[in-house]
Amino acid sequence: MSLSKPWNHGSHHPFPHKQNFDLYRDVSSSLRPAFSLSTFSPFAMNALSPDEMERFQRLSNTYQPDVQPSHSIALDYANADPTLAAKTNTESSRIKSLNTLLDQIGLADHIYEIFVDATEDILKRIIDAIQSGVQDESFLVEAFNEGYSSDAVITHFRLLTGAWIKLNPGRYLPFLPMPVDQYCSTRIDPVKTEIDEVGLQALIHGVIEGSGFGVEILYLDRSEGDAVTPHQLTTNCPSGATLRLLYRPGHYDILYQAESTLNVAPIVNLQYGLSSDYTNSWDNATLGFDMNSSLMAIPNLMQDSSFGMGASMSPMPSVSPAPPSPYGMSPQQEMYPPMQSHPPIASISSPHPPPSSAPPPMTSLPSRSSDGPQIRLNPLVMKPNLSRSLPVTTPFKNSPYNQAHFQNSDFEPIHWEPHGR
Amino acid sequence: MDYNMEDTQNPVEAQKVAQRNDTQSVTKRLQAELMQLMLSPSPGISAFPDADGDLLAWTATITGPTETPYEGLTLKLSFKFPNDYPYSPPTVLFKTPIYHPNVDFSGRICLDILKDKWSAVYNVSSVLLSLQSLLGEPNNPLNAQAAELWDSNQEEFKRHVLARHQDLDDE
Repeated sequence: MSLSKPWNHGSHHPFPHKQNFDLYRDVSSSLRPAFSLSTFSPFAMNALSPDEMERFQRLSNTYQPDVQPSHSIALDYANADPTLAAKTNTESSRIKSLNTLLDQIGLADHIYEIFVDATEDILKRIIDAIQSGVQDESFLVEAFNEGYSSDAVITHFRLLTGAWIKLNPGRYLPFLPMPVDQYCSTRIDPVKTEIDEVGLQALIHGVIEGSGFGVEILYLDRSEGDAVTPHQLTTNCPSGATLRLLYRPGHYDILYQAESTLNVAPIVNLQYGLSSDYTNSWDNATLGFDMNSSLMAIPNLMQDSSFGMGASMSPMPSVSPAPPSPYGMSPQQEMYPPMQSHPPIASISSPHPPPSSAPPPMTSLPSRSSDGPQIRLNPLVMKPNLSRSLPVTTPFKNSPYNQAHFQNSDFEPIHWEPHGR
Repeated sequence: MDYNMEDTQNPVEAQKVAQRNDTQSVTKRLQAELMQLMLSPSPGISAFPDADGDLLAWTATITGPTETPYEGLTLKLSFKFPNDYPYSPPTVLFKTPIYHPNVDFSGRICLDILKDKWSAVYNVSSVLLSLQSLLGEPNNPLNAQAAELWDSNQEEFKRHVLARHQDLDDE
């Protein structure tokens, strides 16, 4: 049984030492770790062949928490280039011009301005950071992790999406099970809703498309082969960058591919999902992780020579241009030395590894309670009692600390044993 | 009232400040709402922060809409705002005893927009207006007896409303 490293894309990966789950853990633990397979009940799993299971797991390993509003920002920023200040400026103006949508549907500006302000503030800080050559992007990590600003940006995009639908009802109404107003007030506006297919279309048409980013849905259907089925939702993307979302019914996760997207090796998910108001169900301690090391997971920032990275520029001691070891900068590593025993790397596009390959012996992992997160930690499906164990049990997918990992001592054989029930 | 307005741009401080940030943002939002309520009051509703000054607790009043059993009645409510308001709904309770299908005898309200259908664009004013219209259009039998009576005997329903109603003294 092989669990692939999510970010390994074969030998061409330009940043081998970024394939570090500790880093990944840092970032995503404070976000929305999403381990898949949870949606397959044990019963459903019986119907799947081991190969299928494996395929799903490999695909699932690439899951990222849902991200909506500002992956564009992340991409731009990861490319950190002074000319992006101008681009970001343009985007900022564009976003601001979308206020007219909100005005047209009769939303009072005193109601929406705090949300718009949050988005503008982030864009402005990006511009400032680029212009002043400051390489400290901790504000981004903070903005997308700190509930309030993240929620505000998401709300802003919710409002824009809803307004777009209301202003273009003919385009969406035939696909809606209810009147447009009701759809918006029950499926788009509420804080605790995930975006659905129609809503996503509207978000793309009304908000994202104008930014020049392409959008592609990768759909985990059950078609033949071991490749996920892509659906291109935008006809053109002048920027050359594509936002990829992994779809399973009821949920989209952002997905980063190392290939093609300019010189970006996207790794970091910087944002909350559209449904982000679950802070109460997430242990606050997840936000207490060392943000500095999480920044290390932002690809390119440290490698890009244009960055002229100087240690003195950074308030983050862990952000050194040449980390001594792949795992050297992770606080978790010190806390859990056994985690250095990482599973073998398997590329997502590689042939099926032999399902029968014996898993390595259990390491001395601490035991986790069996009610710990099994797989997918979308807050919508997560039990409240899971939250306390989040910081240590769920932070990244391929950690043996994740119960979905075969090296975890609480790993559930039923999910994996080919000849199990 | 004391509002912290410190610089949150400093990344080193950011983490520390994050928590307070939330409170600050809530406060800012609630101040804006209060301003709006005072500048353009809606007939039949009012709301104001409680005296303790943290802005997270308000008392509101609505008047019963005409042509409903609540016509002419004044109903007081309490609002408690969570730290992540407006991304979580306020906790709203009827303080005035009220006989209504959507309200239990502790004053708790069953209304979807105060729960899973809450949106961050709702505010004190829109909640109060929703509650006001809820008075004339009950939809969820939290109080089953009231719901039944509403459907079967409006006269009797109104008698129950008036019997239960008690004007609260101003504190």
